[in-house]
Amino acid sequence: MGKRSSRDITRRGFIKGTGAASLILFIGGVPLLISACGEKKETIKIGLSTPSTGAAAEKGQVLEHGNKDAIKYINEEKGGVGGYKIELVWMDNGYNAAAMVNNVNKFMDSRCVTFGCSSSAMMAAGMSVANQNGFSGLAVYGAPVIYRPPQHIYGQLPDYGDDFVVFAQYYKNHLWDGQGKPTVVMHLLNNSTGYGAYDGARAKAAEMGIELLEPVFEHTASTTSETTSLNSIRSLDPDILYIASTPKPSSVIIKNANELGMTGGRMKIACGHAGMTKALVDLAGADVSEGVYGLFPTVNWDDNVPGMAKVKEYCQRYHPADFGNMDYIASWCQSLIMVKAAELAIEAIGYESLSKGNQGAWKNFEDYGIKALNNYDVEGLQGPVSYTPGDNRLSKSLRVFQVQGGNINPVTDWIEAPVIEYEKLDWFGKI
Amino acid sequence: MADLLQYTVTGITVGMVYSLIAMGFVLIWKSSGVANLALGQLVLLFSWFTYGMLVQAGLPLLIGLVIVVAFAFLLGWITERFVLRPLIAQPILSLIAVTLGLAYFIEGLCTFIWPWGVDVLPRLFSQDPVHIGTAVVSQEYLWAAGISLILFAFLSLYFKFSRMGVAMRATADDQMAVQACGIPVTKIFSRSWMFACVMAAIGGILMSSIGGISYGLVETGMKSFSVVILGGLDSFLGAIIAGPIIGLAENLAGGYLTALTWPGVREIIPFIIIIIVMFVKPYGLYGETRIERI
Amino acid sequence: MHLPAGIRNFTYAEDMAIFRTRTQWVLLILLFVLLFTIPLFMGNYWLSIIIIIAITIIAALGLNLLTGYCGQLSIGHAGFIAVGAYTSAILTGQYEVPFLLGMLGGGLMAGLTGLLFGLPSLRVKGFYLAITTIAAQFIIMWVISQWGTMTGGFVGLTVPAAEILGFSFTSSTSKYYLVMTICVIAVFVAKNLARTRPGRAFVAIRDNDLAAQVMGINLFRYKLLAFFTGCFFAGIAGSLLAHCYYGFLNPEFFSIKESILYVGMIIIGGLGMTLGPIFGVVFIRLLERLLSLELVPFLESTITVFPSGWASGVTPMLFGLIIVLFLIIEPRGLAHRWNKFKNSYRLWPFSY
Repeated sequence: MGKRSSRDITRRGFIKGTGAASLILFIGGVPLLISACGEKKETIKIGLSTPSTGAAAEKGQVLEHGNKDAIKYINEEKGGVGGYKIELVWMDNGYNAAAMVNNVNKFMDSRCVTFGCSSSAMMAAGMSVANQNGFSGLAVYGAPVIYRPPQHIYGQLPDYGDDFVVFAQYYKNHLWDGQGKPTVVMHLLNNSTGYGAYDGARAKAAEMGIELLEPVFEHTASTTSETTSLNSIRSLDPDILYIASTPKPSSVIIKNANELGMTGGRMKIACGHAGMTKALVDLAGADVSEGVYGLFPTVNWDDNVPGMAKVKEYCQRYHPADFGNMDYIASWCQSLIMVKAAELAIEAIGYESLSKGNQGAWKNFEDYGIKALNNYDVEGLQGPVSYTPGDNRLSKSLRVFQVQGGNINPVTDWIEAPVIEYEKLDWFGKI
Repeated sequence: MADLLQYTVTGITVGMVYSLIAMGFVLIWKSSGVANLALGQLVLLFSWFTYGMLVQAGLPLLIGLVIVVAFAFLLGWITERFVLRPLIAQPILSLIAVTLGLAYFIEGLCTFIWPWGVDVLPRLFSQDPVHIGTAVVSQEYLWAAGISLILFAFLSLYFKFSRMGVAMRATADDQMAVQACGIPVTKIFSRSWMFACVMAAIGGILMSSIGGISYGLVETGMKSFSVVILGGLDSFLGAIIAGPIIGLAENLAGGYLTALTWPGVREIIPFIIIIIVMFVKPYGLYGETRIERI
Repeated sequence: MHLPAGIRNFTYAEDMAIFRTRTQWVLLILLFVLLFTIPLFMGNYWLSIIIIIAITIIAALGLNLLTGYCGQLSIGHAGFIAVGAYTSAILTGQYEVPFLLGMLGGGLMAGLTGLLFGLPSLRVKGFYLAITTIAAQFIIMWVISQWGTMTGGFVGLTVPAAEILGFSFTSSTSKYYLVMTICVIAVFVAKNLARTRPGRAFVAIRDNDLAAQVMGINLFRYKLLAFFTGCFFAGIAGSLLAHCYYGFLNPEFFSIKESILYVGMIIIGGLGMTLGPIFGVVFIRLLERLLSLELVPFLESTITVFPSGWASGVTPMLFGLIIVLFLIIEPRGLAHRWNKFKNSYRLWPFSY
């Protein structure tokens, strides 16, 4: 091994020395590196999180495509907003609440001025962080708990409780011909989609003269047979069967109801907007789902509104598989609304303060952008968007649709859902 | 009374579908002592593969089904060869964990090849419901129940009388003794995994023709754990009998208890049954009791 | 553990010390310095990742005590975490109990629930117990979902921010310090628990419970103690999750997939070693981040020939593959490899 004196550098000493040196360099150097990174591009950053993977992937991907295509449309054809391009910071949350919290933090770090989320459950996960920091967010599909009491999260579309209220109104005015009170039985998905509708029903049923029959029925997203519960429902003989769920379980319920001979008679079936999509008709079958009513807060693909041409063009060009899917339109609208708010904010206070992406910028964006929205028509693709103080729902209008011959056709014009002050009801947040 | 009949009929038919999956589980346990926690995901994979054959490749029904069965054999062989053989003598925790890893992998594979998550198989059976008295049950369920019974008969006879079946039972009992007798243990593992995969495939085809293909197939797999526990982990008879019992319990509770208690009572019944069985008769109705003496 | 050449133990205290040599103390102090100065140069995003890692470590330590040291396989850990989270949220929200008491209350409640569902462990072992814990997970989550008056049911429950002596933990940095402090305490408690009498009893039970019983270890007492302790840690983790991470609770956050992930984490990290959960959690959380945040969008945008969304299957596939590979190649986990590496460094060039 050769002669070694204690002053020579042994291998062990060498490793120790380099280890210590690199640790010191790391601790000292990282902050420098981090601050050195970061080029300044003149863009407006908007954060976006969709459940593109995981349990809700089939909705999440379509929502992602709609968002991204709309931003592409704004950037390419309208040159961005106020002359500045929109930069979309997109992160997938995989329908995982922990990931959503990380995503919101990332948006805040990346100097986004606002963020959007498509799923109500995910928004509920991320809203606490956003609210604590004053970072405003827009949820496509919401539930009352997200924006009551109103803080910094806004709902783009009316929520599931509003669905029920609007349908009940429509039923009473157009389909009800008897005396007394129409009776409703609810079949709920076992999460906030289902129970959101139940909250709306409980809040407004008595006031509207509708009788909500007990018990409410519950099902899981993976149910394969609801014959048992439908049997009980048949003996209750309600006027309306309201299904607050996603397409797949709704299709199971409708199929089973058909088998039990409950469809096609006096009882009307209505679906909330989470379930009333083309997937429902496909899964249940056009013949079985004939005559089923539903609500949806945007137009459908056959409507001839100003913005529809661009929606169709970009969809066909970039994501032709999504054609006909209502979620695409919903998220397209979400992008348009966020861009419009950005436009209003830039006009009011200028790009500089927004580009900082800090708490001041977020406050400004919210005050001068979102709160300034007034009757924006979103190119006709959904109900008009306005901010009214005390109500964080930006659009309150829904349309009633019906499945006719395998297509989902609207049977009404825009109906506005009244604001329900859930937090004043003592049962809210509890069942 | 009509209600009771409806609940009973639905309960028994739904329970038979649970039995089908449970038998796949029992098969692997009986022949190699491994708890296959990836069964739900295997069912999902085979359902998607059937979809791929019948819808995407557009093959006629019989050829498609034959290919699915062949694929199931192949997958069983591959799984045993590459995942389980290296872990032959490891403690049970490792084996359970490796099936968990396998479950993740298969789930990812399904998302990888069929990312859109939800789909429907072409209708294999007629949609007209069958009327038994006043009760209504769809034909698909009856077919599923019938096929379960046939498979049960086949498996019981196989395990009892055929050479391979007896060898499988011996392996579950004592691997080293079987090796000492000159029977290649690895071959037995392969065979049992291949069979189990075929059963999962059949179960998958039936279940997805009933309710479509989605992640929910995996959750139904969870429910069949309760069937397995109630019936006994190493008994086919237990699986066939416990299935309808659990189905009945679910539907009767769903029908009668929902109005009295909470809306979601039906979902929790299988799991409460597991806990009760654990306290009362831990090894199940027909399972082999393990007696440990000092 | 192997000691460096020239270090000898002359007293019991020296023999039992966790940090024996000066080098180890120096490294420990450096580690603390690093941990507590991280907020200076990490933004919200990385802080939130480290917070979730720390919280997961606390829960995983509990599971390691139960499964790694005592051999009682539990695939229901997410349910016990949920119990802790909801209890703490309800105590601080509805009953205005101070946060620290609420957190302890959450831990206690989770421990008691663990005790309850651990009772079958006296009659069954191995896989049967695992199924019981899966049932426990579903039952707990069902009770939480249905008991809407207390827990907000499916709609969810808003959780007030953590507050100690009037100081409210709302910024990422303050949350980080709170969580990190509790995590460090938890690691030391777990390590010491494993080294003392209950820990040795657990290991005896795991290795051969009949022999342990013959030796005079009261199986009843120690198995239930294992469940209680493991779930107490889970409860503490749950409470932190509620107050310092989500701020809002929904039963969907605590699914069976989380439970399975925890089992995977401790197995990959190494069962039966306190360092194990730390490695396992860091490895898996970072892998999750890396895969779903960097790799998947990258693959998605570069390779577009497959139907869209294909890349999201890559994450679970790699996960599963890694778990399987680990079990085949290194069944004793990352911590074991780390120990071997440390020992080989000490003993180089000798190979023993």
